[in-house]
Amino acid sequence: MTLPGRRLSSGTQHLINQIREEIEDIFCGLGYIVADGPYVETTYYNFTALNAPENHPSRSAKDSFYVEDNAPEGKPPLMLGDSDVLLRTQTSGMQVHFMEENKPPIYMICPGTVFRPDTADANHLPQFTQVEGLVVDEGISFGDLKGTLDYFTREIFGKDRATRYRPHFFPFTEPSCEVDVSCGVCHGKGCRFCKNTGWLEILGCGMVDPNVFEYVGIDPERYTGFAFGIGVERVAALRYDLPDLRMLMEGDMRFLRQF
Amino acid sequence: MRVSYEWLKELVDVPDDPQELVREFTRTGTEVEAVERTGASLDHVVVGQVVSKEPHPDSDHMWLCKVSVGGQNVNKSGEPEPLQIVCGAQNFEQGDKIVVAMIGAVLPGDFKIKKSKLRGVESCGMNCSERELGLGDSHEGILILPADAPVGMPFADYRGMSDTVIDCEMTPNRPDCLSMTGVATEVSAIFDVDTHMEMPRIKHEHGVGPMGLEGVHHLVDVQIDDPELCPRYTARVVRNVKIGPSPEWLARRVTAAGARPINNVVDVTNYVMFLTGQPLHAFDLGKLTEVDGKRHIVVRSARDGEHLTTLDEQDRELASDMLVISDGRDRAVALAGVMGGLNSDIDGTTVDVLLESACFDSGNVSRTSRSLGLMSEASIRYERQVDAASCDEVSAIAAALFEECCGAEVVRGMIDVYPRKTEAATIDLRPDRVRALCGAPIEDDFMVRRLERLGCGVVKGRHGDTHELRVVPPTNRPDLTREIDLVEEILRLWGEGDVEPTLPAARNHAGGLTVEQRRVRKIGKTLRACGLSETSTYCFADPRDLARMGMAKEIKGVPVKIIRPLVSEQSEMRRDLLPGLLRAVAYNKDHGVRNVKLYEIGRVLFGREHKSLPEEKTYVAGVLSGAWDDDAWNCKYVAMDFFDGKGVVEELLDALRIQKARFRVPESEHTAWMQPGLAAEIVVRGTTLGWVGNIHPKTLDLFGISDPVVGFELSVDALLNLAQDQLPYQDVPTLPGVEVDLALVVDEDVTYEQLIQRIASAGGKLLRDVRLFDVYRDPVRVGAHKKSMAFSLTYRADDHTLTSAEVDKAHNRLLTKVLKSTGGEVRS
Repeated sequence: MTLPGRRLSSGTQHLINQIREEIEDIFCGLGYIVADGPYVETTYYNFTALNAPENHPSRSAKDSFYVEDNAPEGKPPLMLGDSDVLLRTQTSGMQVHFMEENKPPIYMICPGTVFRPDTADANHLPQFTQVEGLVVDEGISFGDLKGTLDYFTREIFGKDRATRYRPHFFPFTEPSCEVDVSCGVCHGKGCRFCKNTGWLEILGCGMVDPNVFEYVGIDPERYTGFAFGIGVERVAALRYDLPDLRMLMEGDMRFLRQF
Repeated sequence: MRVSYEWLKELVDVPDDPQELVREFTRTGTEVEAVERTGASLDHVVVGQVVSKEPHPDSDHMWLCKVSVGGQNVNKSGEPEPLQIVCGAQNFEQGDKIVVAMIGAVLPGDFKIKKSKLRGVESCGMNCSERELGLGDSHEGILILPADAPVGMPFADYRGMSDTVIDCEMTPNRPDCLSMTGVATEVSAIFDVDTHMEMPRIKHEHGVGPMGLEGVHHLVDVQIDDPELCPRYTARVVRNVKIGPSPEWLARRVTAAGARPINNVVDVTNYVMFLTGQPLHAFDLGKLTEVDGKRHIVVRSARDGEHLTTLDEQDRELASDMLVISDGRDRAVALAGVMGGLNSDIDGTTVDVLLESACFDSGNVSRTSRSLGLMSEASIRYERQVDAASCDEVSAIAAALFEECCGAEVVRGMIDVYPRKTEAATIDLRPDRVRALCGAPIEDDFMVRRLERLGCGVVKGRHGDTHELRVVPPTNRPDLTREIDLVEEILRLWGEGDVEPTLPAARNHAGGLTVEQRRVRKIGKTLRACGLSETSTYCFADPRDLARMGMAKEIKGVPVKIIRPLVSEQSEMRRDLLPGLLRAVAYNKDHGVRNVKLYEIGRVLFGREHKSLPEEKTYVAGVLSGAWDDDAWNCKYVAMDFFDGKGVVEELLDALRIQKARFRVPESEHTAWMQPGLAAEIVVRGTTLGWVGNIHPKTLDLFGISDPVVGFELSVDALLNLAQDQLPYQDVPTLPGVEVDLALVVDEDVTYEQLIQRIASAGGKLLRDVRLFDVYRDPVRVGAHKKSMAFSLTYRADDHTLTSAEVDKAHNRLLTKVLKSTGGEVRS
């Protein structure tokens, strides 16, 4: 009777996709739809329409994977970068696509793979996953941004976790901030896991910059909105204290079957 | 930006505890990377007084001293007790104030002070020279302090060397905060406190020329070729500088800010840059070419292939999109905004200095710095934009310090070429709008006061019934041009943390997943139910991947090629999922994992001729290798084969309610990665969904895999197109059916597919189910090139229980038809 039972072992979902689906479900519950966008983008969608200046360092070939443009004729010369086409470095370009194709009210998230030329090591991958969020409606305030992200944070990390909003800078949002969640190991006292700060950075967000609205023809006096970007690998690393992000890409059955 | 707390204290009222400022910086958007206490190397080093000095009993050049260090050393009853120290220096007397390194001190050079015995006498510390303290080169004797130095005081405090440096990461929109005055202004806005920024002034301006009546214009002229790239250039001349080490306070400030003290002239330019954010450059006037009694500064574009050796002694080849300063038209003497040239640098022989305080275009400096791989404190500031409006004031501050610290004579006047005046922006700010956007009850007074603290001019007004503020930001805040920019300033100072969280009062919208998104999730769920685990592989591909698979290039289009890949194995985007999965199989096998069952739902990218953007498609692929599971005490498993892969695919098609799938023998030239005979193309209603098959050993070998692998790959778009949510309901049978077994011997080339079709069409409406339960080959018992296939047939009617006569009749009719059309016979 103590002998092991006869098991039909089912497979497991990849950790990143588990978390991605969890995030999708949280926001679907708040009335969001889930959008999808292309991996290969033009600099217009990845930078320009997101209010990144022509000489913004993020445009440089050091920070973006540019790809060969098979139809380069008649394009203006570039300030930085190699081509007008690149692997998207952020899912934020979907904000622009979506606002071009849809009228407010907009409640949208866009999960997806993004690419940056970081050599793979314990803390970096050249390919990782973001979830972009965008809300555009009448009367949206910074308080709404906070309420939404507080709700998200508690759903994903637990009810006992606190959040902290630190003002920051992103070209496509203003005011912008970074959000920290209180450390789950020491609960804010400071430990090795949170590098003695008591806080763990989880996402960037802000109110949609009126310049972005102008690019897509939305009246910034009538509509306001907020946007946020969540790093899914970051959430995974924080939840499980993963020693090395490369494990996510190796396909090792012994790793995959743990989740 | 390294912010010295001691320096900041001089400019603005700061809290006593630097940690309080660190907290407020974090709260208001200045990221603190590190907090570092300087002067820490002088722990346990204190001011002492020589109480007694006796010759050492056993040495003719050493002294035995008692040195009082006040309360720093106490006896058992807690009273101060002088330390006994053996000292070899000769330059001190009883009563002198000196510097004592007590036991536990670690002096520069990792010199640890311990209790020791010198020629048999115990010594409990060391009297220090300047060099031992890392303060200078003097080692003539120990350092004697003024008579009023307080005994027992930590030496770092006494010399004002204790400091806290807060290392801040400034966001790219805040060029103003790359200066001490900017940080002081920020601090004044955070705490609502006063600044006191008094700048040094020039004491005396000297005339030049034969009569001593001329100003700087007599010596220098300046010409700007392109005002877009250089909106302002000012020049001053100071003469007769005495090059030497900087005064201690200046060296200390420059060190705290992160630079190395060089000489008084260079240190002044660095100090003023750290103070104001305006980079300065000092040229040795004597090294600039003189034509007609004057130096001619020209701000021009470099020539392609022009060379300049920069101050770091690197020879740089320039390009025409870079801006240089040249003396006259020809010789470049500096790389504008990035670094000076070695040909005009300040050195020990410099007498006269030409001081540049200028503004260069941020984009141009950024590009130059990037393409040369040369970053400097100057380029960092120009990249983020320097305030052209204050070039003149900053030049005067530096001139005053040249006067004070280098003994220089300031030549009267300043050359100021300022073709593009900076206009201050005027912004209308609606306090009601601020409150609405923030969702916070921020009072008008708060807005006015804090904006004024930030250096904005604020005028209250009315616009109709609503209050409005007219705001003029300072010229060093290029980030403040619109109302929203001011909203951000107000909100971050008021406190984002204090805004009450609310959820949007959303109307007129609904959310949720689409049908397609739910179906994609179902694909994953079904494959997991089949025992496969999901993995994720790189979207990058090795250009050799398709060749390794033997995949025809023409059906896969052109690759999306990465211009600067990190590694050559990831230099294009994948056009197929299988290579990534095979790498995962190899990884597992190499790490001792025998049984591998993986799937991935992922995107593949097909480049297109004459189109900038590729076609992006989603595929689902899987690989199976090894056994279904490891053997257990009550379960044994065999190695997985083609039919395990096909079974997974069939299960997936069932889950998506996709019917009438055909598994066809593929054209072998298009499926070279599969083993002939163990490969199938999956076709539904004319649409090819994908393939399933055993991976060819040649391909496996190229991926370093020695075990057999079964794989499949299907187009998710095609699956979604064909999928249905539901099939019509069918009555559950209430009456019993009759099962009849039938073993048919047919020629080897008659397929199961053909046979089952014949049986189904011959069976009439009473035949409800056909199941193949055995396939048997034996040259003797069955015959050569023949096979026996055994079926279980179920007959049933919906309205009555079948009699055996009815079953026999139907079965015999079926037999006749099937045997006739297939040329088979019933196996006896």
